[in-house]
Amino acid sequence: MIAGLVLLAGGAAVGLFGSLLGLGGGILLVPLLTLGFGRPLREAVAISLVSVIVTSSAGAGIYLRRHVANLRLGMVLELFTACGALLGGLIAFALPVPVLEGLFAALLAYVAFNMLRRRPPKATATPQPPADEVLVPPSGEGTDPVALPAASRATAVPPVAVVPTPAVPMPSTWPFVRSLSGPGYTVTRMPFGVVGAVFAGIVSALLGVGGGIVKVPLMNLAMGVPLKVATATSNMMIGITATSSAVIYLLRDEINPYIAGPVALGVFVGASVGARVINRIDTAFLQNLFVAVLIVTAAQMAAKAVGL
Amino acid sequence: MSAAPDPRVNETAYRLEARISRLLVAGTYLAIGLVLVGVVAMLATGVDPLALATPTFDAGRIPADVAAGRPEGFLWLGLIAVLVLPLGRVSVAGVGFLAARDTRLALVSLAVLLVVSASILAAVGLER
Repeated sequence: MIAGLVLLAGGAAVGLFGSLLGLGGGILLVPLLTLGFGRPLREAVAISLVSVIVTSSAGAGIYLRRHVANLRLGMVLELFTACGALLGGLIAFALPVPVLEGLFAALLAYVAFNMLRRRPPKATATPQPPADEVLVPPSGEGTDPVALPAASRATAVPPVAVVPTPAVPMPSTWPFVRSLSGPGYTVTRMPFGVVGAVFAGIVSALLGVGGGIVKVPLMNLAMGVPLKVATATSNMMIGITATSSAVIYLLRDEINPYIAGPVALGVFVGASVGARVINRIDTAFLQNLFVAVLIVTAAQMAAKAVGL
Repeated sequence: MSAAPDPRVNETAYRLEARISRLLVAGTYLAIGLVLVGVVAMLATGVDPLALATPTFDAGRIPADVAAGRPEGFLWLGLIAVLVLPLGRVSVAGVGFLAARDTRLALVSLAVLLVVSASILAAVGLER
């Protein structure tokens, strides 16, 4: 019974801190399960995928109700993230575990680096949107049964430095791509989107993350999609992306329901709580603490990868 | 960017998004509810999740496990609901696009479902 409660609490902590810090759940959950609970990496990745689907579905429901996500663009891109996830799911069983651990260590280091880069700017520096800018939901927050940032923070929001949408995007000459545009913006450079979506799917399937770290900058910087729409659309796409690879893990008996259950439940509850207290908590200290945790975790994962 | 309805977005798309939204929110609660029942049953029966080997997934056994009140049945059912939910979203969207005579997006929805089916086939193929 104690182990079940500890897993539940661990999931809740991941959901809560992921929600407060704008980190994806997978980036926290996989190290927790492997380094903290001694679970095999593939099992941890599989459980992480299940957890991100839960928070993605909840968040996508809210985003779609508020018409923030671009359903048409998301469905086209998720076709390619799903292809990438299928590929990644197969690669995951072909690669040796130490290689996967090394890749995850690199991802952790990259996220830590980006969290350091996106610290609040000085008055004279080039204005950078705060971490919350990509997370702030439309008005009405707190009235929903499933709080918006609970999912967006836990699954979709990449801890990357964000840059405003290019001012003058070049319109696509392909009518279908133009039809994917939304109110006030035009979708551009679809080929970048396709290639990036496949890559995001592979990353998601290999490492058990939502892939927002790739998709949001891709849509925002390369395709001319406003940041908030890109975040919401990425969040919506995670469900199918993660499902495409999760079924491979499921049918290869890598999902332990006794662990996945309490962890997914905990992540959902923790992320929901985080969404409700975010405005009352100073996350600056938490962020600094977390950069340190990420660096230490990356080092541990790297050491595990090389057999130390 | 405002979340207020934009006149350029047609009513059909808005209705479809609202329908999908309801499905996702309700589906999430259902899935989490099933997982919650499984977790409570697991805790009540004193199962140590870290001490158990990963059980083999057998969809045919789930109904019997649920009927018998075994935690494993509810946990599997909840987790399957989690995995099925995005597929439900794509299916509803596909039907909606078809009804709106948006053939290309309907075909995209179908293609997404085919890719997930390919994942299942690939997993089964790997098992052999």
